[in-house]
Amino acid sequence: MKKILTIIFCVFLLTSCSQSKDELVMSTEAGFAPYEYYSNGEIVGVDVDIARKVAERLNKKLVIKDIAFDSIISEVKTGKSDFGAAGISYTEERAEEVDFTINYSESKQIVIVNKNSTIYNLEDINNKKIAVQLGSVADGYLTENYPSVILVREKKFLAAIQDLKDNKVDAVVMDDLPARELITDNMRILDSELVTDSYGMIVKKGNTELLNVMNEVINELKDSGEIDSYILYHMGINDNDTSKNTIFNRIYKSVIYDGRYKYILEGLKNTLLIAVCAVIIGIFLGTIAAVSRNVYENTNHLKLLNLISKAYVTVIRGTPSTLQLMIIYYVIFKQTNINIVLVGALAFGINSGAYVAEIIRAGISSINKGQWEAGYSLGLNYYQVMKNIIFPQAIKNILPALGNEFITLVKETSIGAYIGIVELTKASDIIASRTYDYFFPLILIAIIYLIITLFLSKLINTMEKRLNNVKNK
Amino acid sequence: MLKINNLKKNFGSKKVLKGINLEVKKGEIVGIIGPSGCGKSTLLRCINLLETPDSGKLMFEGNNLLDGDSNKDIRRRIGMVFQQFNLFDHKTVLENIILSPVLLKIMSREKAIKKAHELLGEIGLEDIANNYPHEISGGQKQRVAIVRTLIMKPDIILFDEPTSALDPEMIGEVTNLMRKIAKEGMTMIIVSHEMNFIKSFCTRVVFMDDGIIKEDASSKEIFLNPKNEDLKSFLSKINAY
Repeated sequence: MKKILTIIFCVFLLTSCSQSKDELVMSTEAGFAPYEYYSNGEIVGVDVDIARKVAERLNKKLVIKDIAFDSIISEVKTGKSDFGAAGISYTEERAEEVDFTINYSESKQIVIVNKNSTIYNLEDINNKKIAVQLGSVADGYLTENYPSVILVREKKFLAAIQDLKDNKVDAVVMDDLPARELITDNMRILDSELVTDSYGMIVKKGNTELLNVMNEVINELKDSGEIDSYILYHMGINDNDTSKNTIFNRIYKSVIYDGRYKYILEGLKNTLLIAVCAVIIGIFLGTIAAVSRNVYENTNHLKLLNLISKAYVTVIRGTPSTLQLMIIYYVIFKQTNINIVLVGALAFGINSGAYVAEIIRAGISSINKGQWEAGYSLGLNYYQVMKNIIFPQAIKNILPALGNEFITLVKETSIGAYIGIVELTKASDIIASRTYDYFFPLILIAIIYLIITLFLSKLINTMEKRLNNVKNK
Repeated sequence: MLKINNLKKNFGSKKVLKGINLEVKKGEIVGIIGPSGCGKSTLLRCINLLETPDSGKLMFEGNNLLDGDSNKDIRRRIGMVFQQFNLFDHKTVLENIILSPVLLKIMSREKAIKKAHELLGEIGLEDIANNYPHEISGGQKQRVAIVRTLIMKPDIILFDEPTSALDPEMIGEVTNLMRKIAKEGMTMIIVSHEMNFIKSFCTRVVFMDDGIIKEDASSKEIFLNPKNEDLKSFLSKINAY
C-alpha cells in the first residue's frame, strides 16, 4: 500500500515541475484561419503574430498550446496558460470568467447557404436548420435571438460547412473572414450580416500586468496597420484551390504538401506512447486491485486496500472516460504545468486498470476450486498458492480478454484530443482544418488504427500459442 | 492421533454435520461409508480444514486444529487425496510433486527431485515425470497425487472417493498403491463407494447417515453383522449385505 502511494507521489512530483518564468503560454484552437492554423508543423496566424510581439515585449519565449475551444477559458482561469487567443468574441458571460484585452479585429457573423437555396434574407432563416460551431458567437446569438431555428452544433466550423455541402442543413452561420476562405462555388453568402462582433484575447481575472502590456502592443499594431497586414498575409497562403480537386491532388494536399505527414507521425508517436504507458499503468493498478480484493475475500487481510479497489473499479467503470480525462487534467493537475501526454497516459492507465482488475478477477475465479484445495492441503498458505498455482494458470485464461482491453485502449486514446493531445485523431483533424477535406486524413488514420490493432491481435495470438506450447512441451 | 469431539458444520441453514465423535489411532485404516449427502466428504474436508467447522473439537496429536494459528504447520502433516486428483495443470508431474516441499523449505530442490524420482520409481511411473497432467491417464494422475502427498511425509492421509472418477480398469492400480502404503504403516481415512475395497482393506468402518455416526465397528462386523437398521437398509440397497 505504502509502496503504491510512494510511486504515485513520485510520478506526481516528476511531472509537476512548475511553469517556467521565462515562458509565455498561449492557448488556442488551431483550426481557425487566418487567426490560428497549422502550417508546416507549426501553429501560425494573426493571433500568433500578435502573441509573438507581446512575448517579445516581455522578453519571454512564446509557448502555444493547441486545445479544444471550449477548454480555453478554463485553461486561462486555472493559470495553465497565461492567456488565450483564438478569435474569441467578447460576451458578457465570458467577461465574468476572464478579462478581455481591447479588440484587435472585428468580424461579422454571416449566413452561408447553398447557391440554389430559397434563403435570401435574414427573415428566411426562421424555422430552418442551421449549423454553427459549438459555443461560438453564432451559436449564442442564434439561440438567444432566433428561437425557431433548429441548431446543429458542430465541434468545428469545418464540420458545419461539410453539413451544408451534404445538404444536411439549410445554412451555416459563422465568422465572415474564415467563411470567405471556406465557401465553394456552390455556395453564396447573404448580403446582410447577422451581427458584428469583435475579437479580444483573454487573461486570468486580475492579471492587469499582462493585460496592460497586451493592450499596449495591440494598440501599436492597430495604429501601424500591422494587424491588417497580418490578416491579408495569412489569407493569402490559403491553399484551398478547388480547381485542382483531383484525387491525386487531394491525397497530395492531405499528406505531403506543407509537411502534413509530420502531424500523422507526431500523432502516431503520441498515440503509441500513451497506449504503451497506459497499458503498463493499467496492468500495475489492475493487478493490485484484483489481487487485493481476492486476498481480502480469502484471508480477511488488506481490508482498506480492498475497499479502495472496490471504489476505484466502481467509479472508473461507472463514468465516461472523457470525463475522467478532463477531471484529471482540469481538476487534479489544475495548478501544474504537466506534460499533456503524461496526463493522457496516466488517465488512460487509471481507466484501463479498472477493467484489467475485473478481467484478472474473472481469470482468478475461472480456476477450479480444487487447485486451491490441493495447494492448501499440501500445507501452502494463500500467497504461495496464489503465486505458484493460481496466477500462472489464470494468466492464460486472461490473455484474450486482456488483449481486447488493450485494443480498446489504443482506440480510446483518440479522446485525448479533448485536452489537446496531438494523437492520431487530432492529427487528422489538424490536416482537415487546413485542407477542408476530411476524407483522406480520416481514412488514413483509420487504416493506421487498423494496422496497430491487427498487429496487437497477432501479437496476443502468438503469446497465447507460446503459452500453450510451454504447457504441451 | 486424531480425536473429533461433537463436531458440527452447517451450510447456511442446512445442518450437514450434527455432532461427530470419532477417534482414529495410529496405523488404523478407517473407511467411512454412507448414503450420498450424509456428510462423509464434509467430515473429511473439516479434518483438513478445507471447511471450517462451526463448533466442536478437532484434536490432532494433542493440538486443537480449530485454535487458529497453531494449525499452520499441522496441516502439512495431514495429507489429502481428492476425487478429481487436483494436480496442478500447468506443472509437470515432477513439478507437482516437488512444489510444496521446496516452497516450504522441507528439502532442497535437488533432494526433492531425487526423492520424487525415487517415489515414482517405486510404482513404475518414472517415465511420466516430465509429462503434464493432461497427458497421462486418470489412474496415473491419482497415483501422482498420492505421491505428491507422500513426499510431505504426512502422519495421516485422507482419501476423498479416490477411485470414483476413474475408469474401472484403472481402479486396481490406485487401490494397489494404497495397500502398499498401508503396509508401511500409514494411518488412513477413506471415504468411498467401493464397498468391496472398503470391506477388504479397512481395519475399521464407520457408517454415517444424516450428519451423525450411526455405527462404528470392525470391517467384518459392519458388513457381516450390521446392527443399525439404517445401515442394514443401506447395505441391502447396494447389495453388500
